[in-house]
Amino acid sequence: MADKPRPPPLRQAGGVEIRRRRRNRGVTKMEAGAAAPPPLWSGGPAPGEVFIPRGSGIGAGPGRRTLSPMVTGTSVLGLKFSGGVILAADTVGSYGSLARFRGISRLLKVNDSTVLGASGDLADFQHLRQLLEQMVIDEELLGDGHSYSPRALHSWLTRLLYNRRSKINPLWNSVLIAGVYGGESFLGYVDMLGVAYEAPSLATGFGAYLAQPLLRAALERDRLPSREEARELLERCLRVLYYRDARSFNRYEVAVVTEQGVELEGPLTLEANWDIAHAVR
Amino acid sequence: QRTPSLPSPQTTIMAVEFDGGVVIGADSRTTTGSYIANRVTDKLTPVHDRIFCCRSGSAADTQAVADAVAYQLAFHSVELEEPPRVRTAARLFQQSCYRYREELSAGIIVAGWDPRRGGQVYVVPMGGLLLRQPFAVGGSGSSYIYGFLDATFQPGMTRSQCQEFVARALALAMVRDGSSGGVIRLAAITEEGVERTVLAGSDLP
Repeated sequence: MADKPRPPPLRQAGGVEIRRRRRNRGVTKMEAGAAAPPPLWSGGPAPGEVFIPRGSGIGAGPGRRTLSPMVTGTSVLGLKFSGGVILAADTVGSYGSLARFRGISRLLKVNDSTVLGASGDLADFQHLRQLLEQMVIDEELLGDGHSYSPRALHSWLTRLLYNRRSKINPLWNSVLIAGVYGGESFLGYVDMLGVAYEAPSLATGFGAYLAQPLLRAALERDRLPSREEARELLERCLRVLYYRDARSFNRYEVAVVTEQGVELEGPLTLEANWDIAHAVR
Repeated sequence: QRTPSLPSPQTTIMAVEFDGGVVIGADSRTTTGSYIANRVTDKLTPVHDRIFCCRSGSAADTQAVADAVAYQLAFHSVELEEPPRVRTAARLFQQSCYRYREELSAGIIVAGWDPRRGGQVYVVPMGGLLLRQPFAVGGSGSSYIYGFLDATFQPGMTRSQCQEFVARALALAMVRDGSSGGVIRLAAITEEGVERTVLAGSDLP
């Protein structure tokens, strides 16, 4: 069988020859019995060939799109108090700088002992919500009276997010998990890289810079704040964030977890104080 | 590597729900760069008898996803032996838009009527979020009318009020957005059926 005539080499301006690359790299030259070995597997490195990895997420299509969050939520705040934990988050989904969706709930009640609050990409949060809801259903079907503890959920979420990040396909979220289990309160953080830690006060996003110092100051005393003190402090922090975070909003939700269970309050409206405007000329 | 610049509807699309159905509207301009490739486009795409989607973003992407969803819905409604829920249609859109979020450029509003929940509007913006809203806007022209919408929208409008609201909003967006224009295509979807109107030229508010 006659080999297809090789197309004439192209010449570039500098007189350099360019060979057109053959589509079928498995079978190359047909000279005197020399044949390149067939690739050992498809889609992966082949001996002697240049291999460019095509991950599932790195601009796999036209190559012009990178993994980026679209509709995002801003800070989530969390604080332990004597008797439980509180989470607070505003209810806006920002599309870049546009406050596009103003009634989104970013706090999720997972089960009677745990609440989860997420910032970052809200489509990924919805996906996470579906996964968690299915997990909780599957676990209830077992009917053994056990439910996921907040610590267990935190651990599972860390594994999930780290695994996704290792495949260069992260769930673009920073998540706070709060709960009370076995008399102990728990507050943990996981983010899209799989970084995870626990602390008595936590915040994601802008809150980490503006709200954390306020939260930590309240915890420096020898006892945890009471429920009312914690609630007031979180509201104060949300107000500061509303003043200073350009992607925030003045409607928010609060979730309080105690031994008795989870209470979700909201949406509530923040009152802002603009008196200083009159003092400035 | 040269690729021809593909026609993409930079648009204004809108949907409002009322008691008994939804009103949807869109402009009719498709641009390739700054040339108007089609000045009488129909961006209101039926995916089922009483469920429409308004498409913004890449024409190719949204048409492909809409065709796939229309097929799935047709099959689903045969199995179900009743009209599919609007929420199902929206969820099908969301599944495609979320899974292929890195490859697609698609912002979609799904609106329709079903016997269980009446008129509903769902929005699936880029990224693949699914959200139900009393009214929704999308496309490049929507940026110009957020203020108007916030100031004018009231819950509990009647069908004719909704139609007027959508027509006014779209007209304002089309004036200011170079990528939107042409005629206003409106459709009112209720239990009785789909009633389409076109507002052109002097009919524009």
